[in-house]
Amino acid sequence: MLKLQNLSKFYRTDEVETVALDQVNVDIAAGEFVAIMGPSGCGKSTLLNIIGMLDSPSAGHYLFKDEDVSDYNESQLAEIRKRNIGFIFQSFNLIDELSVAENIELALLYHDIPAGERRDRVAQVMNSVGIAHRAKHKPGQLSGGQQQRVAVARAIVGNQSLILADEPTGNLDSAHGQEVMEMLQGLNDDGATIVMVTHSPSHADYARRTINLFDGQVVTESLRAVV
Amino acid sequence: MFSNYLTIAWRQIVKNKLYAGINVLGLVVGLLVFVFGVLLVNYERGHDQQWSNAERIYAAGTLFGPSAGVGFSQSSGIYSAFAPFIDAEIDGVEQIARTVGGEFLISHSDDHFYEFIRFADPSLLQIFDFTYLAGDARALEDPSGVLITREIAEKFFGSIDVLGEVLTLDHDVSVHVAAVIENLPADVHFVSMIVGAQTFGIVAPLQALNAARDYDLAGNFNNLSSSDLTYMLVAPGKEQAWLQQSLDGVFERHYPAEQRDFIAGLKVRPLGETNTLLWDSTGLPVLDTIRLLAFLVLIVAIVNYTNLATAQSLGRAREIGLRKTMGASRGQLVTQFLVESVVIAAIAMLIAIALLEVAIPIYNGITGRALEMNYALTMPWLVLATGAVGVVAGAYPALLITRATPIDALRDGGKRGAHGARFRSAMLVLQFSISIFMLAMVMVTYFQNKKIEQASDIYPRSEIITMKRLGVESIQLRMATLRNELLNIPGVEAVTYSSMVPYLQSNSSFDVTPQAGDESQSFLLKQLIVDEHFLSTYDTPLLAGRGLSREIASDSIREGVLAANVVINELAVARLGYPSAEAALNQVFYDITKQRDSRAYTIVGVFPDQNFQGFHNEIKATALLMLPQGEVSSGPDAYSFGSIRVTAGTGMADTLAQVERVWDSLIEDYPLQSEFLDETFGQTFVFYSAMTFVLGVFAFVALSLSLVGLFGLAAFMASSRTREIGIRKVMGANTGQIVRLLVWQFSRPVIWALLFSLPLAYFAANTYLSFFADRIDASAGIVAFSGLLGVFVSWSIVAMHAIKVASANPIQALRYE
Repeated sequence: MLKLQNLSKFYRTDEVETVALDQVNVDIAAGEFVAIMGPSGCGKSTLLNIIGMLDSPSAGHYLFKDEDVSDYNESQLAEIRKRNIGFIFQSFNLIDELSVAENIELALLYHDIPAGERRDRVAQVMNSVGIAHRAKHKPGQLSGGQQQRVAVARAIVGNQSLILADEPTGNLDSAHGQEVMEMLQGLNDDGATIVMVTHSPSHADYARRTINLFDGQVVTESLRAVV
Repeated sequence: MFSNYLTIAWRQIVKNKLYAGINVLGLVVGLLVFVFGVLLVNYERGHDQQWSNAERIYAAGTLFGPSAGVGFSQSSGIYSAFAPFIDAEIDGVEQIARTVGGEFLISHSDDHFYEFIRFADPSLLQIFDFTYLAGDARALEDPSGVLITREIAEKFFGSIDVLGEVLTLDHDVSVHVAAVIENLPADVHFVSMIVGAQTFGIVAPLQALNAARDYDLAGNFNNLSSSDLTYMLVAPGKEQAWLQQSLDGVFERHYPAEQRDFIAGLKVRPLGETNTLLWDSTGLPVLDTIRLLAFLVLIVAIVNYTNLATAQSLGRAREIGLRKTMGASRGQLVTQFLVESVVIAAIAMLIAIALLEVAIPIYNGITGRALEMNYALTMPWLVLATGAVGVVAGAYPALLITRATPIDALRDGGKRGAHGARFRSAMLVLQFSISIFMLAMVMVTYFQNKKIEQASDIYPRSEIITMKRLGVESIQLRMATLRNELLNIPGVEAVTYSSMVPYLQSNSSFDVTPQAGDESQSFLLKQLIVDEHFLSTYDTPLLAGRGLSREIASDSIREGVLAANVVINELAVARLGYPSAEAALNQVFYDITKQRDSRAYTIVGVFPDQNFQGFHNEIKATALLMLPQGEVSSGPDAYSFGSIRVTAGTGMADTLAQVERVWDSLIEDYPLQSEFLDETFGQTFVFYSAMTFVLGVFAFVALSLSLVGLFGLAAFMASSRTREIGIRKVMGANTGQIVRLLVWQFSRPVIWALLFSLPLAYFAANTYLSFFADRIDASAGIVAFSGLLGVFVSWSIVAMHAIKVASANPIQALRYE
């Protein structure tokens, strides 16, 4: 699905150069469920943002479905991104002024899909994450767990094959966190590739592979035996 | 506590220089325009307070009837016949004085100056208590006594000790100085009224005018002039309503019934309103409009402040939360915010006053006014205005921001844009309604001015030099010689004499009828006394027949001969009932007059309808008449103007110098009074262009303020929607889609503003245009266009921000939420 080759990312301020990612090599195959772990500031989110094409690498190559996207400009990246990648954030990032259904629809809004079909797919995905009864509510009226379910629904409504989750359970209590992880598990079982940044070892256990980052470098990779 | 507020207020201003700068600037402009507007209107309305009888003095004016067709609804003068009736029949009127203005050549030994003289009944000096330097209020009781000001005394005699000195009017009538008064201040109507002479130097008894120009002392119903006022001093305790009623009675009893569709009644006006008569008689509420516009500009500035302050204060939610946590009450916080806005308003007011101190002398220099900031009088008002502006502008943000509970205030970071969004939209609607309304009005007046200017091009106004005041005997006798000599000047193509030249705002007409003696079909025909060169000099073609000629004796109006030939315009043809110009040829119509038997006029030529007076006037049915050659004429129906047509491309100034040389060699006792026809046009046109200019300034200020406000608000809203924009971009929105989203957010208030302002502007534009006979017909289109312009400009402003925000990397927005 995607290959990172000697990928680096530096941040420059006036005097200091900070290395966020240093010569990272990662291969992720279609259908994998990968967890990225590591202490704060190790470069997890930077890595995820680059995979999600929200950020560009400073050096090295990023091959997405065998296509080298390292040098693509913003609109080219946006084009690939919206067809292939869904995002789930720690802070949900729902738009407060829009209803649940409209927030989910947002992911289809920029895809040239007719309004009728958009409605159908939103309805369908709301059922599958169990949020249909809240369709007309605003995010502010929902619990954190419900908000994150909306975010999950938004990430998958466009049939995206790659789901990137940045600490999806970070703002949730353990019961709701569990619920979201099971939802991701289910998506993975249905064939979606999932890359998740997390601090929680127990949630990382849902993944089949864990990548540990430290100071911008991949220190270990561990595979969990498939049961 | 209070000094703590002030300190914080000042630090906030220093910290947010851009916002504070925009806020202060906006309020400075708003206050400047507002204070100046109020000063100006109060000044214009506060004239003539120095007379000890000011409260008991009234002026009588005239209401025009439906058929007058003069463009104005009122005249500030009355017929001279009314005064004796009022004097005799109304007991409560203690004094009444007619005045008649006229320009004369005044001579003292070898000094000759044209001066404006007010001829008046002696009672004028009982009504107005002038400051006498010599002589007293009985000066005009002597039929040859005159009252002069210090300025005139020093001009002619170099001293004010001049009682008994002699002045000569037009080399004819001698008068002697019977009183010298102090010069009048700038704020009395005698010198400030826009209609009339705007000078007050010499007052002479009406008997002197009778001696010089056969003025009818008994009074008549013939001549009505808006610059000749009649003043009344009423007994103490008598009110305006009583005087109005009494004058209505005089009008009913004495005014000829058959003329009442021309004149509908008399109108009493307190002395204080005399200065603003011109505005009242146009029917356009100019001064009220200025005050309203000034107030609207202030509103726009306040709204601007409120909007920006609201937006900005939401960024201080955390500070508010902290203060509340520390035990601040809501009242204290509201006070803190209000102190801040009052401080800003005070800074703005100080800057505005400083600017006014610069602007007022410039304005006075240009307009001859004497406006001043009288701080002793205005201070309470200025302080009050500052406080009010500060409180009104700061109230909403203060109440909004202090409403949240401390926890909400501390937590509330991401949603700050949502607060008060509806209010800010409403404020934008208000601002843009005002701005677009003003913009539309400016464009309407501008295009109407263009139309007036273009319509005036029917005459070759840039190629004509006019000579004025030819209606005295010694000039009249040398008219033919003068013409011949002038034609010898290289570049002079033609010379013509007439009773009027284009663009002058005065009118002479006579009553005519197609059937002899049938008054039921009568109408007013404008008369223009011309010579045989007039039509060619003014490029006026003939549609049928011929022009007037010296070869044909009956082409001239002769005293005692009751038949004459005339040339009339198409409108007159239509009014007389003929189907075409050709059909009217050789037809006859008759005049109606009480002085002699009616004269028969034979139509020998027809010329096209042209707007001779131009501007707001409608084209009138007009007849061209000729006087016999060599006959001395004076008064309004004489050859008192000459027009010299100069070949295009010839230097007008050089030609004028040569004209002057010719004049001086022929006519020694009267200096040349000349004017380029372009100037004659400009003297009236300046009122229209000044109006557009003033409106333009208001509109520019209002629109600029609105756009600055929009700019600030767009910046704020865009930054408060950064997160949303980030999410949308992650979801695949491109820059264009985001820009459209943001622009649309601001388009809605602007479009609402259009819904309010365009119908209003359309209505106001039509009210304004109804003053003009010849008006632009595309007012709806112009109004709509100004709306589009407003939308387009606001789009551009918002789009500038939106593009910047929309092209930012979304991850910046989402990273640390």
